[in-house]
Amino acid sequence: MTSKSEINLQNFYVYNSSFGQKEGEEDKKILFYYPPKTDFDTQMKNVGLSEAIIKFTDTFNADQLCDALHTQKTRQLYHQAEQGFWMVMTLSIPFVTKVKDGTEYLEYQSDDVQDNVYLAVLRQSYQMFRLFKGSFTAILSSSGADVTHLKQKLDHFFSRYLLTLKLNHSDILDVFQGIQFLPLDKQTFLHVQCFVNLIEATFAQVKQTAFLYNDQLVWTGIEPEDMQVIYRYLVTSLLPAHLETELQGGSMPRHPTSPFSSSHYGRFVTGPPNLQDASGNSWKVPKVYINNDMTPELYHLVVYRALSATVCMFIEGSLQLNLDFFKRLDIFLGPHLTTLVSEVAEHCSRQAASSSTNSVDPSPKFVYFNKLNLAQKSTVHLDNRRSGNVAVTPEVLRLLADINADKTRMSTTGEIILKTMSDYWVVGKLSNLREFYVVIHQKNANLIEINDEVKRLSDTQLHNIFFHD
Amino acid sequence: MASKGVCEEKKDADNNEESDVVPDFEPGASLESMLVTTDSFEELEQEMDSSFDERQMKESTTSTISEIQEELNDTTVPEDSSSEQDDKIIENDEVEEIASQLSETSLTSNEDANAAATPVGSLPEEDYWQNPEWKERKKHVFILSAAGKPIYSRYGTEDKLVTIFGVMQALVSFVQTNQDTIRSIHTGNSKFVFLIKGPIILVSVSRTTESVSQLVLQLTYVYNQVVSVLTSSQLNRIYEQRRNYDLRRLLAGAERLIDHLLNFMEREPAFLLGAVKCLPLTPSVRDSITQTIVQTCGKIKNLVFAILLAKSQLITLVRMKKYFIHPADLHLIFNLVNSSESFKASESWTPICLPKFDSSGFLYGHVSYLSDDCQACLLLLTVDRDVFFTLSEAKQKIVEKLRRSNCLEAINESVNRPSYTASQVGVPEMRHFLYKCKSTAQFWSPALEPPYHTTEESQRLLGLYQALHHHLHAASRPLKLLHQQLDKETMLGWVTSGFELYVTFEPLITKHSAINAVNKLLRWIKKEEDRLFILNAPTF
Repeated sequence: MTSKSEINLQNFYVYNSSFGQKEGEEDKKILFYYPPKTDFDTQMKNVGLSEAIIKFTDTFNADQLCDALHTQKTRQLYHQAEQGFWMVMTLSIPFVTKVKDGTEYLEYQSDDVQDNVYLAVLRQSYQMFRLFKGSFTAILSSSGADVTHLKQKLDHFFSRYLLTLKLNHSDILDVFQGIQFLPLDKQTFLHVQCFVNLIEATFAQVKQTAFLYNDQLVWTGIEPEDMQVIYRYLVTSLLPAHLETELQGGSMPRHPTSPFSSSHYGRFVTGPPNLQDASGNSWKVPKVYINNDMTPELYHLVVYRALSATVCMFIEGSLQLNLDFFKRLDIFLGPHLTTLVSEVAEHCSRQAASSSTNSVDPSPKFVYFNKLNLAQKSTVHLDNRRSGNVAVTPEVLRLLADINADKTRMSTTGEIILKTMSDYWVVGKLSNLREFYVVIHQKNANLIEINDEVKRLSDTQLHNIFFHD
Repeated sequence: MASKGVCEEKKDADNNEESDVVPDFEPGASLESMLVTTDSFEELEQEMDSSFDERQMKESTTSTISEIQEELNDTTVPEDSSSEQDDKIIENDEVEEIASQLSETSLTSNEDANAAATPVGSLPEEDYWQNPEWKERKKHVFILSAAGKPIYSRYGTEDKLVTIFGVMQALVSFVQTNQDTIRSIHTGNSKFVFLIKGPIILVSVSRTTESVSQLVLQLTYVYNQVVSVLTSSQLNRIYEQRRNYDLRRLLAGAERLIDHLLNFMEREPAFLLGAVKCLPLTPSVRDSITQTIVQTCGKIKNLVFAILLAKSQLITLVRMKKYFIHPADLHLIFNLVNSSESFKASESWTPICLPKFDSSGFLYGHVSYLSDDCQACLLLLTVDRDVFFTLSEAKQKIVEKLRRSNCLEAINESVNRPSYTASQVGVPEMRHFLYKCKSTAQFWSPALEPPYHTTEESQRLLGLYQALHHHLHAASRPLKLLHQQLDKETMLGWVTSGFELYVTFEPLITKHSAINAVNKLLRWIKKEEDRLFILNAPTF
């Protein structure tokens, strides 16, 4: 067995053909290009190819946009993020070295790179940019159509963002970009809601709030389309990074004067790390743009965490945040959150105990997604970190995205059951806007047994959800 | 006949998980096959991945035709071997002569082909790509030279499409400058698929649900159709000598063949399956036809294949020992026969290159229909270009013998009898199926019944099979079984080591009934196998 090469990012660019139409100013249409060291000729050539391809496909169907270009060695994904603004991402196709008739040759595994998955990755990169920097057109109009400003923002954002792409662990969850919700009993849920209302009532600056427990969302006042981007940022980037610094010995104790007398466990994830040190100017609170499709709103995103609970507060962006404000927040949030989190934790451990009978049989794994509320649940993935920690083989995981790509043929309801060469059974069910995928590794099963198994699973895991048989 | 019995339970690790569901046997299986049985898709992947140079090398070192000629001519016929040399440096004039010969034989009155070749719209001055009707065609196919010269366009005259041909050539060559090869472009509802075959580029622009590999397969067929008229060595040489050559001069007759082939592929599952369908006949009749051909032609030197077909179905195929025919070559022969009305009028002598058999040279075919009262077409393919009269005589004898043994009647009866329908199998929930026996590269399918009796619906059904086939045969993630519940039907695809089965059911069938239906179907095919399939592989 020879090892397979990885999926790498070859280039990533943003251009708008309407800029630099004058001769000699063609360079103006390229707004961002990665890798930055690429010589200008190559940049122009590659952008030129993209323009040609988009124009060529347009000849045949004016109403459908170009999605992807496949070559033997690369995959290029296209996304027109805003009118005239194209984002292009080129990935290398993994290959294995094989020997035939005594000569070595490379076999490219183009099926490993799935268009629907990587188009989603590309779209996410735009959504993430827009969350932190605002839309391209908004940036342009704020600077009086001066492209330099936009170029700087693109460069500032993408030069770091692109390094965090986990291309080899992208899968069907990227397509869904769903949110994992934590179902609570009525009383606990009401307590959370009261807490959130109390924050917003006490601090008028806080316009919206979201509440998470571990990586699961309990409450949010933000629109789902924005929340899915924010959720992704929190769960895959901000919170893991925060946990890591905490684990590294908490280099900066929060209450250096009396670390043990602290009555609560709360601390800011975004905000001042040290509330006692007034001189500390080294912290920054990220600003986010939401509701970009309608009227964009700018907020400070202040994230506060106590034990496993995370509170995200969206504070009016025009305000200046000072240390005093954070101190008041901390005094308010810390004790409240510390009590609340133990209540939620208690509920969760009760749930875990009662549901453990169901999870005794670990063999069938599933992924569930509801497009209506963006709810997502997966037992195929062992964590939310997108690190490739999955309970099935990569091939099987790709089959889920294959089925998803094929679902256009199934209209609103449908079901697909398939069996792989390695005796994995994969079931995909589609009902209205819900998708349910099950993976069962059972060599000696037949179609009927698998069907029963899936029924059992959807009864125990997804009570009340109707699936057409 | 080597098929396993119905009741015989084979404890095969590979298949036993289904043994409680379906008995493990392979209806129609045979130890010997006259057809090459490689999986066309595997082959395709190889073709796409190995570089062109390698293929060319292989082609030029193993010319099957010269091998046969050497073997048969006992090296004492210097004249012949020099004519072989001539072949290699054949002048363009001669090719044109051959091509025009071909165009004569393929003067077709086929309405499909005519419709396809009719330019769109009534504005000859307008560029087609501005014409909405032209743009909305379901599947365009273009051929151009590596230098960007138009060779063929399925719809519209090439001259009006120079711009588009230019863009396609530019895209191909741009990607080539990065030591890479362009494969396909995907938009919301269309696929643009490129296939680069040596000196020519083939492009398909499709709004169908077919997969890229299925479209590549079709383009490969189109390429093979071109090769079948010119030979690959001729094609390469032309462009080596003149990069800017206008190949349309040589392909004047072949355009009709390509048009017809493209329409043919849109109706026939044979291409997808890489298999051939046989005309149902009782085994004794088929044997007697085969024996007649063997006895009559056995003494004729240099005869490589004798093929008898009717209605795009194979009646019998007799081959020279050691040599096999690839289903893809047979499909081209079917296409040639179907698109050439002139064969009906008189016996013909036509050069034909079978690309899978030997792409570097021509075989010569004596083509004729058996008689006015029997519309089966007989092809006698030889490597000897001067035996028309020998073969013509042989054909007369074959027809006489077949008439005396009442075989012509039997053929007619089978041709005229309405084909089996799915309902005759006795499974009411089953609407249609495709069954391919892998070891013989033969398949069988029942006649299309309502709701699939209209052109539109039958094409939709083929689309469903194509999607099913695509999932089961995906190069990196092949499957054993696929059961899919759709809006209007339930589809089941099942691939074992011995066969491939694709079944269309009523939409609301239970899985239990589906499995029972498959069981029943396989038993039925087993019962009928010696009528539906050719279970031996006769030689001269």
